[in-house]
Amino acid sequence: MATGDAVVGGRVHARGVRLGRRGYSWVTLAPVLTLVALFTLFPVAYAAWTSVHRHVLVLQGRPFVGLRNYQNAIEDPLFADSIKSSLIFVAVSVPVVTLAGLLVALLLNQRVRGFGILLVLVLLPWSIPTVSAGITWRLLLHGDFGAIDGFLYRIGAIDSYIQWLSDPTLAMASVIGVHAWREFPLPAILFLAGLQTIPPELSEAARLDRASAWERFRYVTLPLLKGPLLIVLVYETIVALSVFDLVYVLTGGGPGSATTLFSWFTYTATFKYLNFGQGAALSFIMATVLVVFIAVYMRVVRLREEPS
Amino acid sequence: MRRRRRTANVLYACAGVVVALVILFPFLFVLSASLQTESELIRRPPPIVAPQPTIDNYRYIFTGRVPAAYASKELLRGTVTKDVRQIPTGLRNSFIVAIGTVLVNLVLATLGAYTFARERFRGRQAAFYFILGSRLLPSVAVAVPIYIGLRSLGLLDSKLGLVLIYSAFTLPFSIWVLTLYFRSLPVELEEAARVDGCTRLETLRHVVLPLAAPGLAAIAAFSFLFSYSEFLFALFTTETSHAKTIPVIIASVSVNPDASYTLIAVGIVLSMIAPIVFALVFRRYITSGLVASLTRT
Repeated sequence: MATGDAVVGGRVHARGVRLGRRGYSWVTLAPVLTLVALFTLFPVAYAAWTSVHRHVLVLQGRPFVGLRNYQNAIEDPLFADSIKSSLIFVAVSVPVVTLAGLLVALLLNQRVRGFGILLVLVLLPWSIPTVSAGITWRLLLHGDFGAIDGFLYRIGAIDSYIQWLSDPTLAMASVIGVHAWREFPLPAILFLAGLQTIPPELSEAARLDRASAWERFRYVTLPLLKGPLLIVLVYETIVALSVFDLVYVLTGGGPGSATTLFSWFTYTATFKYLNFGQGAALSFIMATVLVVFIAVYMRVVRLREEPS
Repeated sequence: MRRRRRTANVLYACAGVVVALVILFPFLFVLSASLQTESELIRRPPPIVAPQPTIDNYRYIFTGRVPAAYASKELLRGTVTKDVRQIPTGLRNSFIVAIGTVLVNLVLATLGAYTFARERFRGRQAAFYFILGSRLLPSVAVAVPIYIGLRSLGLLDSKLGLVLIYSAFTLPFSIWVLTLYFRSLPVELEEAARVDGCTRLETLRHVVLPLAAPGLAAIAAFSFLFSYSEFLFALFTTETSHAKTIPVIIASVSVNPDASYTLIAVGIVLSMIAPIVFALVFRRYITSGLVASLTRT
């Protein structure tokens, strides 16, 4: 009897300790989990629900409409346009940003006097508000008195001012260029960190084997940068798919629909026409696509972790 | 061989100068534009260095005294005048919202990250990946529901509403950075403190936090930069100068076709000061935090 009590008592005690520990864990995580769930899980679930109902701010009632919001959204000619624009944007900007970051990192990895300052400067475009960067570039690219045209004109590269933001192709190129200017610091910093973990002896050995600079890069450096490279590619794809601020201040989606990226289309469908049902349908499509990329990203990061 | 090395260094230095110019040119241009009068700026080509620099534009924004160059020619139109005068309020709002978000991050991320770093419990992995994954969801995709949620809570057009949104968006990143940081600290000190009778929270406060200053600096810098600059949510949840942040104000000024370019430039310069100071002061922590958070779990 007495022994039985002790056992029960011990068990209770042990469980009390375990509960205390679990309790502490969940109590300290509760505020964060609640906030994050409120602002991610709830919105996505709500978007899914709203997307199958009519939800227009100026109309009364929220009847169930099945997939009609999706149908309407997809049949909008801007839908296909915006997907095309987003694909072009991603296909061009991701390689440009990655390559710019890689080149700057390779440069910064050279021990040249004064490069310490460059390392500080690299952070600047990334640190300022996207809106500020976008407006600055809009002034620079202005077709009547922009400084870019002024410079090109002065050195004789062009005969007349170029209307950067009024021509469909040039407008897209401009948005990509400004995005790259703002975004390259991140990959540059990541690649530089990767480069600094490569022991200099490796490159030195290749040099003694009379490998050219390109061969040393191709067969020594690049394979060792594979991890950061994959991460940058997936991460920058997510970033490029989410671009919104720049379009707002640079082109407003125009001229015509030339720079109407998918996120911009979703925004205008929702807030310009106050059609929350259709906006929710588009949001849900966007969230689904992004969740796939996020899963890939997490997988890439984890795969890299495992061997080490 | 040595000669080749020297040529290479010269080439690298030239490339470095080009990179520096590409980075700096927009900053220098907008600074110079903010110190000019409109009539100088719209010359073709525009002057690269302000011929007669003036701080009248800045004075106008802070005191409302119309610059002499504008008053005479009536270049300054009514709507713009009112808009740009909101810039100081916008700077203040941005600053308050950013500091609020930083404080929330310092408290909640510290608590959460310490648990992730040291406790073992069922559901830990799932909770961690849930938080991390949510970080990358684009704002546009969750904008409508968040707008509706805030409206029903009565938090539209309020700084508190913005702090809540920004905390939700910055906490995942902060937790990630801090968890990695806490894990890199030696666990023995904490074990000793626990043996001496400290509770978990006491250990966290007296033993871990003093060692974790660089990690805390990194998350403070990230959450400040994010919330100071965020645009989309600020754009559609705020309406008046009560909560409008600086990106919203300069964006609305800049898409106004009547806006004076010099005054837009002043707004941009003012909007960049705080983030640049933060980025430079916390540079080391930002760099190490970024590298760790993007490449490790």
